[in-house]
Amino acid sequence: MKNLRMKAARAALDLSQQQLADAVGVSRQTINAIEKGDYNPTIRLCLAICRALGKTLDDLFWEEQ
Amino acid sequence: MKNQFVFLGICCGVIIGLVVVALLFKKKVLDVTFDERQERIRGMAYKYAFFTLMIAVWIYGALDLALGRWCDTLAGISLCVGASITVFAVICIVKDAYLGLKERPRAVMTLFVLLTVFNLGIGGMYLASGELVEDGVLTFRAVNPIVGLVTLVILIVYLVNVAAERKEG
Repeated sequence: MKNLRMKAARAALDLSQQQLADAVGVSRQTINAIEKGDYNPTIRLCLAICRALGKTLDDLFWEEQ
Repeated sequence: MKNQFVFLGICCGVIIGLVVVALLFKKKVLDVTFDERQERIRGMAYKYAFFTLMIAVWIYGALDLALGRWCDTLAGISLCVGASITVFAVICIVKDAYLGLKERPRAVMTLFVLLTVFNLGIGGMYLASGELVEDGVLTFRAVNPIVGLVTLVILIVYLVNVAAERKEG
């Protein structure tokens, strides 16, 4: 499933995928894969992304049933 | 005596290759830092490469049994390893896990161009002098063109992947 909340949070900070990737120490393609829902990141990477975007895990990764 | 010189030549080639690779690591052209997604994909690619190597070695042995000696052992092994490396590289490239986080794509691909030209050039020379195939047997000199073909395939797949990515936006 696409992670539109993460994409929106990134866009709100006017960050490109490459800038976010550099901030959390992964490749641009990995950020792209997470946003497209092609890759499920580990909790460690989720936390790094949340810190970089100033959001909580719930904000970006929690899915309501 | 001739075989001893060949063995010595191969050893020198391997040592020079290792020195060049070490220098490229020192100059940061090559780097093995990958993120978690890339590590995962590379693990999967290793698995497929391993199975490819097993199947290729088995086919090589079976062909040797069925057809008799059709290539030098070194050439046969190189073909199997080349097939395995190609599978690994293609999977990694297609899934964007081939180059490390700190590697410069342009520098690495320039290196591949040089390797391709150098090895295919040597292969062409051997072909022209008739040393590539002797008495219907693919000689150990085929190692260079095999390496050249592998690097050529990697180069082409990489460039096609980059073009497709740019088209996708």
